[in-house]
Amino acid sequence: MYAVVRRIAGDDDLAQDYAQETWIRALRALPSFRGEARFSTWLHRIAVNTALQAVRKAKTRRMREVPLPDVVAVGPQVGDVLLEQKLEEAMDKLPEGMRKVLILHDVEGYTHEEIGTALGVTSGTSKSQLFKARAKMRRMLRGFETQPKEVEAWSV
Amino acid sequence: MERLSLEQLARLVDERPTPEERAMLDADPGLRRELDALRAQREALRDLPAMLPPPDSWPELEEKLVTEGLIRGSRGGPAFWRKWTRIAAGLVLFTGGTAFGWAAGGAPAGPSDGLAAGSEAVGIETVSFASLEEAMLAVQEAEQDWATAFAEFRRLLGTQSERELPADPAVRLAAIDALLAASRAAVEESPADQFFNGLVVSTLAERQQTLRQISQANWH
Repeated sequence: MYAVVRRIAGDDDLAQDYAQETWIRALRALPSFRGEARFSTWLHRIAVNTALQAVRKAKTRRMREVPLPDVVAVGPQVGDVLLEQKLEEAMDKLPEGMRKVLILHDVEGYTHEEIGTALGVTSGTSKSQLFKARAKMRRMLRGFETQPKEVEAWSV
Repeated sequence: MERLSLEQLARLVDERPTPEERAMLDADPGLRRELDALRAQREALRDLPAMLPPPDSWPELEEKLVTEGLIRGSRGGPAFWRKWTRIAAGLVLFTGGTAFGWAAGGAPAGPSDGLAAGSEAVGIETVSFASLEEAMLAVQEAEQDWATAFAEFRRLLGTQSERELPADPAVRLAAIDALLAASRAAVEESPADQFFNGLVVSTLAERQQTLRQISQANWH
């Protein structure tokens, strides 16, 4: 839950505020939780909505140059740490609209329809933002190659 | 024919190329490498590790929750929390059971009111964790407890599917008795707790309604 909030916020202090707000909203809504979804899924949705709303409300957007000073990453392989840090840095540098879509789709696994609902845009806009975000990430990470885990056929 | 742009390649990470795009990829190893790199990038994003908040963030959150009136003063640790979540799971199941009661034999006279009152009284009895990480672990355990409780509920009802609840009030009575025992145990531990007391009262009311159904069934 904290991870998605942190990534959407792009900032540790904001992330903590959003995470706290998430818990407050979740506890308020707890009596209405009826178990239709897993509790973790339910909480995750609250976290995403809380962070998205908070970001939307923010009037100014700060440049985020210092990545992840206080965040504890869970269980990364030593060789992956640098790559993960580069990815997080690159995500933080994306324009806000692209960053939100990239996080929700490529990191969190939301569909374009779900993203459209969450962000109030069409699924076509979500796709367009995603492709731009991926391309921008690729440009930023050029020279720092992400290695495929196994050789993958290029064609779908 | 214009070379595929990076954005077009980014689309091909998820989507099938058109014959024209496929031909371009076949003819250009550089494009294939870019597409592979974009796919690897997506995989790396998917595999990003979970992040935990700074370890000292729990006290501040706890204070905020107390201020908001969502939790009260500290009273016990994770063990108490686990017990509470089991009861909360029971409440969720019980509410479902009430809906079943309506479907099977008409709306009960009082239990749903009692349940609502019980729910409003849920000021969550605390939880005193050393860190947010510990609290999150407790939530995960609670989720497992909920799944276990749900499986047990199904077993008690003798059904395989949520949509196949039996119309036999006697079977339902067994499930209610199990919940009653759990909620009474909670009251013994926390005699002044409004939520647990409300739960016992609601459970008793539901039990009475079910007994009435059984009695009517026997009479007819």
